[in-house]
Amino acid sequence: MGTPKSDLVAGTLALMILKTLETVGSLHGYAIARRIEQISGDQIALNQGTIYPALLRLEQEGWISPTWGESETGRRVKFYAITRAGKKQLHAEQADWKRAAGIVARFVTLSEEKA
Amino acid sequence: MRRLAARLFSLFRRARLEQELEDEIAAHLELAAADHRANGLSDEDARIAALRRFGGVTQTKEAFREVSGFQALEFAWRDLRFACRLLRRQPLFAAAAIVTVALGVGANTAVVSVLETVLLNPLGLRQADRVMAVRTQFVKLHLFHAETSGVEFREMQSLTEVFSAVAAMEGRAWTWLSNDEASRLVGQAVTPDFFRVFGEYPASGRFFTSEDDQLSVVLSDGLWQTRFGADRSAVGRTMWLDKKPYRIVGVAPAGFRFPTDAQLWTPLRLEPRRLLDAERGRNRSLSVFASRKDGVSETQAAERVKRFVDGLMSDDAAHNGEVSHSGYGIELTNFGRYIAGDLRRPLLLLWGVASIVLLTGCANIAGLLLARSSSRRGEIAIRIALGATPAQIVRQLLLESLLIGALGGAVGLVVARLALSLLTTLTISGSGILTLVSLDSRLLLYGLGLALVSGLLFGMAPTIQLVHQSQTVRPDLSRRRWSPGLLVTAEVCGAFVLVVMTTLLLRSLWAITRIVPGFDPQRVTTAFFLKPENDPGFFDRIQSMLVASPGVQSAALANPVPFADSGVISGFAIKNRPENGVSGSAEGFQITPGYFQTLRIPFLRGRNLDASDTATSPLVCLIDSRLAEQFFPGQDPIGQEIAMFKGWARIVGVVGAIRRSSLEGDSRPAVYYSFAQIPFFPWAAVLIRSTGPAESIIRATVHQTNASVPVYDVRSLEERLGATLALRRAMIVLLSTLGAISLLLAIVGLYGVTAQVVSERTREIGIRMALGARPAQILLPVMRQGLGSGVFGLILGLGAVAYAQHWFAGMLYEVAPYDPVTFVVATGGVLGLSLAAVWWPARRAAGIDPQQVLRHE
Repeated sequence: MGTPKSDLVAGTLALMILKTLETVGSLHGYAIARRIEQISGDQIALNQGTIYPALLRLEQEGWISPTWGESETGRRVKFYAITRAGKKQLHAEQADWKRAAGIVARFVTLSEEKA
Repeated sequence: MRRLAARLFSLFRRARLEQELEDEIAAHLELAAADHRANGLSDEDARIAALRRFGGVTQTKEAFREVSGFQALEFAWRDLRFACRLLRRQPLFAAAAIVTVALGVGANTAVVSVLETVLLNPLGLRQADRVMAVRTQFVKLHLFHAETSGVEFREMQSLTEVFSAVAAMEGRAWTWLSNDEASRLVGQAVTPDFFRVFGEYPASGRFFTSEDDQLSVVLSDGLWQTRFGADRSAVGRTMWLDKKPYRIVGVAPAGFRFPTDAQLWTPLRLEPRRLLDAERGRNRSLSVFASRKDGVSETQAAERVKRFVDGLMSDDAAHNGEVSHSGYGIELTNFGRYIAGDLRRPLLLLWGVASIVLLTGCANIAGLLLARSSSRRGEIAIRIALGATPAQIVRQLLLESLLIGALGGAVGLVVARLALSLLTTLTISGSGILTLVSLDSRLLLYGLGLALVSGLLFGMAPTIQLVHQSQTVRPDLSRRRWSPGLLVTAEVCGAFVLVVMTTLLLRSLWAITRIVPGFDPQRVTTAFFLKPENDPGFFDRIQSMLVASPGVQSAALANPVPFADSGVISGFAIKNRPENGVSGSAEGFQITPGYFQTLRIPFLRGRNLDASDTATSPLVCLIDSRLAEQFFPGQDPIGQEIAMFKGWARIVGVVGAIRRSSLEGDSRPAVYYSFAQIPFFPWAAVLIRSTGPAESIIRATVHQTNASVPVYDVRSLEERLGATLALRRAMIVLLSTLGAISLLLAIVGLYGVTAQVVSERTREIGIRMALGARPAQILLPVMRQGLGSGVFGLILGLGAVAYAQHWFAGMLYEVAPYDPVTFVVATGGVLGLSLAAVWWPARRAAGIDPQQVLRHE
């Protein structure tokens, strides 16, 4: 099975989707899932299905908006794009995340020094 | 907020959302498989790999639904289906509970809809809550709720600081000739402010102004619809009433039906003479209504009127006390009470009774649910153990009782509908208003609301207890229990009250039906007709023709006839008495000599009226024995003179007193005049005692005598008598039905509770029996528990009857509210039934086989 891949940290999937859409623009579900896996260097074992409830929730919040398009295999599929409210949300969450990650990082380095 | 809206919205497009998800997943898997194939996997392997990476398709859909839907609603839906399943599994319980709620809610809604039309929102009139009816009383003459004279009308109009408008009306009847057909119309002559008092506006045309002469008419909506085909151009046309041309000036709105039988209104012009102070005691024929000003309360208005009367009294002392002598006063009555009249008490009583039935029903269902709850304890405990929160359990349990409530309510509205259609067919005298009662949307909401509140009410106790018990380890040891005994006590109490009331009313009815009214109503038929003008010999001709008809034993004309209307009530004076003013009050009648023979009223002394008493001969009259006893005790009244309507009349004879308006009430003293001498009224009645088809004889005779005379209100005297008992009979039927229901509920409740006690104590009883307890030792404690609740309920019931007796004392006749026989019978009956209800389960307890119980252990 190779090295065990880490589970997705709870609540971060939404952030990743928003970030992905902000960087790349409009994507369909499969592309978003692939993109997240690639960026994580295949370190994240994403159950690709979990992306759909997350997309729906973001859509309900009004942070992304879907349009119908055609996939590479010629099927009707939804393409999602980030909205202005979504961008605002993303930046707020990014800031929060950086701050939290910074605090955690400091603790981790601290305990490593002790050891 | 935005998500909430989106989720709510998604409830309605759920199928589409699911379909879209299907599409997306399919596309996703295809894309993934294509990628895998590009990496060199076979078709089949690529498909499997794609699926694997996707994670469970079903789980995804599940998670998706959770996000998309409104979970609370979905759970509620699930709970509801669960509750339905539970009810279906216990059809007997469900049916009993639903029927119980339905009866309670149905009876309640029906009574409230009558109350609404009659009392709460009388006749649906716009400003009814502001309107006060003005009537007079003469306490010393035992005369109350008397009509008003022109003087009082004028005086009320002067009280402008409390009343914004005051109007008077006077009953009228006309013969209407249209297309050569004579028909009788009834209505009122009204003063110009009449419609303004009620805040009404014309549907078309206009109402009266003070400039209108007496030949104007406003049509009721009913007459306009039926006889004018709802034609707008009717306004401005002429209609011939009593051979005079009346101009139609307007049409009243459809909702305005006051008085309920009024077909049209004409202007009332009071002769200036009627407004003079000296006329206070005469011509009391006006019904006066006053509308209170903004911000003036009923009490304020009543106080102002009282101050006015007090002022009158002190003035009057100077005028040799004519007014204060009779105990004169002006009554102001709230319009709702005025309309409800005699119906008010019975209606409120019925409402109370219907509420008792609903509450006993609720107590009963609560008891049933409590009994069931012991068997559900396990289920609830398991559900809590599996992670259900108490809130979820409460929601589930309350939903179950709400479901019963809602179903019961729906059936209850059907019950109410049926009850109302029965109620409105009742012919209760003076209750034309009942035909206006209908179930509107507000009342439907009331009924449903009532049902749901009941559902919450009876769901509360078992729910709280269940949840509480399920959290304790040993529920049977939990002492904090809702006592079902308490519910039974309440039920027995309610049932006892109803049984007592029904019995008292039955005894009253029995006493009343044995009353002899003083005349013989059998085979006497009566009918009214309007007197023709310019036909002097009409009365004589009609009477002789009637007597000559086959099968007719005797015939007479009179106005009015017993049990139809009251005669004209008026004060009278006796010649050469020191009071020299009003001596008493009596009811005046106009008759032809055959009256007493036709009704078989005994003639006591003196002579009858006869053909020699004509318009030109001296005025004479007959009095009844009541007047003779009251005003001429120990004297011979023959030859004395009294003045009532028109100067001094010599008393020539005394006849037996009869009851004329109700069987149970004594009638006022009566004075009989000859039609020939006092021809006041435009209508009269015929009475015939016959063995033949009376109605056709009367109609044919009147038609032959004068074809332009309409005949109306043909009824046998026995029918008229029966109508006065109709309200009483209806009350008894309703009360005994409701009483029987609540008694049944109480007995079932008592049985249920005792059975429950027995089943809970089976083990204990078995052990005690194994240790040598005799059956009596088992039987008695079990019975004592159930009977205790019942007896306590009885005692409470006695208290409740004592408290409530003034509500129905007025409906009783010759039976005291504390009638010992009734109480003994009711107590014995309820006690006996309670005993039977406890006996069965207690017997079962005594029959428990200790071996079997112990083996179970």
